[in-house]
Amino acid sequence: MKIFKKTTQIDFLKYKWIALGVTFAIILAGILNITLGKGLKMGVDFGEGTLIRVQFKDPVSVSAIRKLLSDVGLGKSIIQETGKEGREFQIRTVETRSTKQQEQELESHQILANKVIEALKSKDDQQRAAQGLIDLNNIDHKALTAFLAQAFPDKSEELAGRIIDYRTKHGLIIDLNQLKQDPEVNLPDEVLNFLQKKTFLGQMTVLSKETVGPQAGKELRKKATQAVIWSLVAMLVYIAFRFKGVEYGASAIITLFQDVLIALSIYSFTNREINLPIIAAMLTIVGYSINDTIVVFDRIRELKKTMRREPLEKIMNTSININLTRTIFTAGTTFLAVLSLFLFGGKVINDFAFIMLIGSLEGVYSTIFMSCPVVLFWNSLFKNKKFRK
Amino acid sequence: MKKNLRWKLIIILAVIGLCIFLIYPPQNKIKLGLDLKGGTHLLLQVMTEDAINAETDQQIARFEDVFKKNNITYTQAAKEKPGRFFVAGVNPDQEGKIRDLVDQYTRDWDYTFTGDKIIFTLKQVAAQFLREQAVTQTLETIRNRIDQFGVAEPVIQKQGSDRIVVELPGIDDPERVKNLIKVTAVLEFKLVKAGPLPDEQALLQEFGGKVPEDVEIVKGDPKRGHQGFYLVNKVAAITGKDLRTVRRGVDEWNNPAVHFTLTAEGARRFEQVTGQNVGKQLAIILDGKLQSAPVINSRISDSGIIQGRFTPEEADDLVVILKAGALPAGIKYLEERTVGPSLGSDSIRQGLIAGLVAIFAVMAFMVFYYQLSGLNAIIALILNELIIFGAMGYFKATFTLPGIAGIILGIGMAVDANILIFERIKEELALGKNVASAINTGFSRAFSAIFDSNLTTILSAIFLFQFGTGPIKGYAVTLICGLVANLFTAVFVSRFIFDLTVPMNAKRLSI
Repeated sequence: MKIFKKTTQIDFLKYKWIALGVTFAIILAGILNITLGKGLKMGVDFGEGTLIRVQFKDPVSVSAIRKLLSDVGLGKSIIQETGKEGREFQIRTVETRSTKQQEQELESHQILANKVIEALKSKDDQQRAAQGLIDLNNIDHKALTAFLAQAFPDKSEELAGRIIDYRTKHGLIIDLNQLKQDPEVNLPDEVLNFLQKKTFLGQMTVLSKETVGPQAGKELRKKATQAVIWSLVAMLVYIAFRFKGVEYGASAIITLFQDVLIALSIYSFTNREINLPIIAAMLTIVGYSINDTIVVFDRIRELKKTMRREPLEKIMNTSININLTRTIFTAGTTFLAVLSLFLFGGKVINDFAFIMLIGSLEGVYSTIFMSCPVVLFWNSLFKNKKFRK
Repeated sequence: MKKNLRWKLIIILAVIGLCIFLIYPPQNKIKLGLDLKGGTHLLLQVMTEDAINAETDQQIARFEDVFKKNNITYTQAAKEKPGRFFVAGVNPDQEGKIRDLVDQYTRDWDYTFTGDKIIFTLKQVAAQFLREQAVTQTLETIRNRIDQFGVAEPVIQKQGSDRIVVELPGIDDPERVKNLIKVTAVLEFKLVKAGPLPDEQALLQEFGGKVPEDVEIVKGDPKRGHQGFYLVNKVAAITGKDLRTVRRGVDEWNNPAVHFTLTAEGARRFEQVTGQNVGKQLAIILDGKLQSAPVINSRISDSGIIQGRFTPEEADDLVVILKAGALPAGIKYLEERTVGPSLGSDSIRQGLIAGLVAIFAVMAFMVFYYQLSGLNAIIALILNELIIFGAMGYFKATFTLPGIAGIILGIGMAVDANILIFERIKEELALGKNVASAINTGFSRAFSAIFDSNLTTILSAIFLFQFGTGPIKGYAVTLICGLVANLFTAVFVSRFIFDLTVPMNAKRLSI
């Protein structure tokens, strides 16, 4: 089976000016947006605030959460709904607290995070907690074991395990009776009665909480920069080693930077933040996208021998066309995999999947429309005489 | 079957067997990262400067002692900064004697005479040793505390020169453990001279507003129900180092309390102090805060009790830190990441779904477009996944959420090699070559492109591994494993399947 009956004869290089224009437009818009507009949003990994993921028992709206946070002076926090019928949210604190001592900075992030968590707990829950009741939706295994040991010393460990397993599976316990009805938990009545008297089911639970202090954030920033610089150096060494002609090497490098810039530009228009996995994705894109370019260039070198009399532009077009199926398909299978990660992989990995999606599409574009024109431009700039016969 | 095919088959079966052995049973061999199983990750810094500071203070005290014993006169001995102190007002005639004494007592300090002043500076090597020792001791102390507290499979590791990583699976409310790790836990028993009084001035009134020499002021710990200030002896009767055993118990009113017994040496000193001071108060001080100040009713020798309105948890935690000992230096938290178990299990489930969808989508595409040859690619892909898991089992690598992403990405990348080969074979067939030689040329021509493409991606991943932290390392590992395995599966295994299934004189190839 073949998608293209014969090898295609599309004159891609005819569109080189348009392609160049599009590339420049995207990158220019991106750079303007990054420098003058919204900018790139650095995430918790780089020492910015605390990221808290919470789940509610009943659906809540973003505006209701914002109201609660405004009441404690944290209204600027970034609030995002992350699925499950308005019950899961991601909140990132942005306000920074001035502290006297530098050393206390991580703690200052955490004071804010704790304020957020306190604010989100309902008044009822707070009152019940003040009365000494235990919040069954927020207690950990160890503490629950100790608590149950008061009444059921012999089997507290095992009972706690069953309750926590149920909670882990469902996120939150909505109704105590579920603990009896669910065949896997099947709590005996006396335990249920004990829980009914001594515990309550909190409105909200914290799914995760991440804080990186400014000092560690600075170090992660440094490490990320080092990883980027060293991979780029490695790529350059590889390119220098792999390509004979300087114009091809230069084009590969320009294409590579263009890959990064386009991905970043598009990313800057979303509300997504830059964290370590995003850096990892960018480096993967760089390593992945350069291959197609290499293959096309290899083909050009091969064809230059057999198509001696043809102009370089024609040779390039033929090379791109011969490789078209594989350029599209190799990127296509990766795109398929990343797309399923984007659609089904969950919120935590969504940003990563998103930038990989851009990267895998963009790699095809840069191979077809960017790599060869750059060689031509390079030649017309630096090798005028040689090519104008 | 041809002889070389038989060998290839043996190699392939051996690899399959090895990988299954390495990963079976998966629940034992697969280590999940904290982002998947839930738990708390802490990065902390040891304030190694504290150790230098303490050493400087001790050294000053030691020299003052030595100088006094040897009749060396001086007016002042004071610290300039950690690792540097001076002794001023010495008699220059005694320089020779002082040099002999100092050389005899320490080799860790450089010293210079300038007039009547001697400046001591801690040698670089000695400072370095102290810092390293402080980190090692802190790590051991934290390990002891966490072991006492009881966390299953904690990870406590040194990172860089003065960092410690603590990973606590299953702890999703880290406040209690964080406090447990952070307290310095210096326990001291000191005789009370005066107090309690509500403020410091009142306390000092009878001493003319100045703190007398060998005493100091401590504040009561409000959490233990002590509001005021106390004046206590500077020298401790006994310290936490003199404890032999510690356990939780109750006091005479059945409130949680901590019982302890003393070492022989500690008991001797305790007996002496309590015997001479019956009727006086003895302050029990933890990290500079007074916990309780019981009256000494009679001579006590080798055991005692610490009270202080503890909750059961607080009493437990006190036992833990007293057993584990004091930290040699303060610590500071730099990073805290806590993931609850339900988010972790969500991530696993979603990762699994995404992975299955990805693998089926890619398989469907390959079979749809390359037909029977696509089936060949699918076998190679499955084997590729098996090798990734085998390698992860062998390296005892940890699966993290980005690691799962790396595997899913790898699914898409793995068939790239097959596509390169198949497209090349198609090209060769289109040129009119026969099936066998098309396959042959396809594989050999495509190899350099496959090698190139895997190499560049592996290069990026290596730097990610080098500079990345936990989860990113997990990503780099799965990506590298996948790409290396890919060279074996897409080139070696896939070729083997062609050789096995396509006859030498085949007229058609399903591709």
